[in-house]
Amino acid sequence: MNRNACLCLLLLFLTPVVVAHHSFAMFDSDRFVETEATVVEFQWTNPHVWIEIMVTDDTETANQWSIEGGGKNTLFRSGWRPNTFEPGDVISIRYHPMHDGSHAGGFIGARFPDGSTIGRWDE
Amino acid sequence: MRLIPVICLVLLCSPTRPDELPDWSGVWQRVEGNAGMFDVSTTVPPDGRAGSPGVRQHPPLTDEWEAKYRANLDLVARDRLPDPISRCGTPAGFPRMLALPDVYEFIVRPEQTWIITENGPNILRIYTDGRKHPPPSDLWPTFTGDSVGWWNGQVLEFTTVAMIGEAQTVLDRSGLTLSDQATVETKMYLTDGGLLRAELVIKDPLVLTEPWYVTRHFRRMPPGTKAYDYACAENNRNPITGTGQTLTLDTDGRVIDKVIENE
Repeated sequence: MNRNACLCLLLLFLTPVVVAHHSFAMFDSDRFVETEATVVEFQWTNPHVWIEIMVTDDTETANQWSIEGGGKNTLFRSGWRPNTFEPGDVISIRYHPMHDGSHAGGFIGARFPDGSTIGRWDE
Repeated sequence: MRLIPVICLVLLCSPTRPDELPDWSGVWQRVEGNAGMFDVSTTVPPDGRAGSPGVRQHPPLTDEWEAKYRANLDLVARDRLPDPISRCGTPAGFPRMLALPDVYEFIVRPEQTWIITENGPNILRIYTDGRKHPPPSDLWPTFTGDSVGWWNGQVLEFTTVAMIGEAQTVLDRSGLTLSDQATVETKMYLTDGGLLRAELVIKDPLVLTEPWYVTRHFRRMPPGTKAYDYACAENNRNPITGTGQTLTLDTDGRVIDKVIENE
């Protein structure tokens, strides 16, 4: 669980994956984080969906993070569903971290235990 | 014989028959992207996204409005340009509503056409029943303004006036605005390739030194595609401070951000 990796790749994932109803400048689009996480809650809502995850950090402390996605209408048309993430799911997730280091991020992609992915993962 | 001119006038003023109108049914999506940049043809850099620092477009702006635009671009660079639609419930207005994400519906009747954006609230009502714009005493600036037009064959032509302009709208998240003196002449038609094309001629005596030509396209989505309600206020966890900073809230409504600019 504890392999929070800041990959800082400048050639991948430079562009925020969502077109938002608000500025996404709080997220560092030049970096992405990949981590294992347990889904706490999936908010299938407008204007954006939210994936609440529990992440264990380097000190073995579990913290809740809020990962913001796009609008559910467009996500639905690209394959997302209200049950895409279920509480208790253990996933790998990639997101743009907040510039100020707070516990939130802009969603990039996720991989499920069966190897399936959603969002941008294989680029 | 004296009735012939009258009959011709009546025929010319009659609404087009429904079976003469083009098929704009279904659900459509914008073609030009750039995160909503309004005039993609003059956007620099060409793949620049609205809201990204240094990304702008180049309409023929007056010196005064170029200075306003640059001031807003500076706010964008510091992430302090509040976008009115981020407050949820505020329409994007016309003509920005032709550059939104999510999907569109174009509902055509002889007497009226409606443009409905899923990313709303935006409904543009275009009256083609022969009416004129209301007199100045009955007209005030609104988000979508007042649109009247006519069918020229398969081409919908209309003029929009009385848009609210810079008071409560931007054209995109780069911070470009028009004034409430703007008029927009629009032609919409299906291209041979099946796209719905909108050609806009924007005039604004305060903002522009000459007419500004902007073209937008829409692509029809697969049959059966649905549009949904948007309800931006359903779970808006990104309020905007008085200084224009976009915050992030946790599930209990507490601010997550560590750095909050003093107001």
